[in-house]
Amino acid sequence: MKLHWSPTSPYVRKVMIAAHEVGAVDQLEFAETFPQSVIEDVGPDNPLGMIPALVTDDGEPLYDSSVIIAWLNDRFGGSLIPAPGPEAWAVYRRHALAHGLIDATNARFHERRRPPELQWAQQDAKLKRRIDLAMDGLDREAAALDGPFTVAQIAAGVALGYLDLRFPDEDWRPNRPALAAWHAAISQRPSFAATAPPSA
Amino acid sequence: MKLYYASASPFVRKCMVAAIELGLDDRIELVTVATTPVAPAAELDAVNPVRKIPALIAEDGQALYDSAVICEYLDALGGTHLIPPEGPERWSVRRQEALADALLDAAVITRYELAVRPEEKRWDTWIEAQKGKIDGALGQMERDAASFGGAIHMGAIAFACALGYLDFRFADDGWRDGHDKLAGWYDGFAQRPSMQRTVPSA
Repeated sequence: MKLHWSPTSPYVRKVMIAAHEVGAVDQLEFAETFPQSVIEDVGPDNPLGMIPALVTDDGEPLYDSSVIIAWLNDRFGGSLIPAPGPEAWAVYRRHALAHGLIDATNARFHERRRPPELQWAQQDAKLKRRIDLAMDGLDREAAALDGPFTVAQIAAGVALGYLDLRFPDEDWRPNRPALAAWHAAISQRPSFAATAPPSA
Repeated sequence: MKLYYASASPFVRKCMVAAIELGLDDRIELVTVATTPVAPAAELDAVNPVRKIPALIAEDGQALYDSAVICEYLDALGGTHLIPPEGPERWSVRRQEALADALLDAAVITRYELAVRPEEKRWDTWIEAQKGKIDGALGQMERDAASFGGAIHMGAIAFACALGYLDFRFADDGWRDGHDKLAGWYDGFAQRPSMQRTVPSA
């Protein structure tokens, strides 16, 4: 199996944590890609030119990160995704919330990387507000994050780490002690420690 | 169930088409929300902190989002399945839904750039990058659609809603050029009542 990856992408990190958790890492061949070459590197396997992209052992391309994780979980008999049912919907929703937080952080990061004269303060403010609301939502559910380890915890842990990576000057911890404590603990988990991004 | 809804949203449309195909639409009350980045709807914040529609209030009262989660929930309620429960088909359908959603993300980003962002703040490089994703997606969709036939599944629904959105907001870009099989498939699928009942209006 081949995984197109980069060391800083939070979407890749979600997949890498899942791969560690289900015991798939040894079977993965890694193909590193870079922003300036991602479209040509990844395009044959993912026409969107986006990472992560997995090529399964049957030669099938798979994306996006959530689909790859579901496939790995199924293929390696993991327990990251509860079967559809009343308890499962809350897990899926929590995962969507955390993934949305990653998306908003990424969007704000890209806004800041525009040529300065093309940056729009209103957009930055809107994305900051979306990040804050998502953090509020996650904070309200911090106790639930102490439950069984699922894709929700993967996405939440990656999202908080990604905020640290892209906005290191905006410390989210002081106002959110429950999330801060949870994040400190989850960061010790081997799958998280093994996939921590390099400092920006 | 309540679905927070705006008729122009292709992600909402995906959920509605799925609901109609599953025979669940009469159990869904639509709550109209008009939200743009400039005038966000406060009532939505409590329901969906990432402030996007669609959001569904499920039959047990819990709030569900995003559109893929809503469709999985609906899929588990009905007797038939739009997402194959197992086998290689499950993964190809899920990949196809992810492909169409990524096309929609790029298209919606482009829409906001051109319709909401002040003209002097627009960035051609950014718009070109989104177009690259859309074109790449269309090429893969042309290959995927060749094997659809009359199949009704989440991949087909997601494709149809993505293409409908391109017709709605980017008619001049002519996605059909160079994508004959996809266009032929779409012309048939778009006749389904689920699609006819959910055509977007501004």
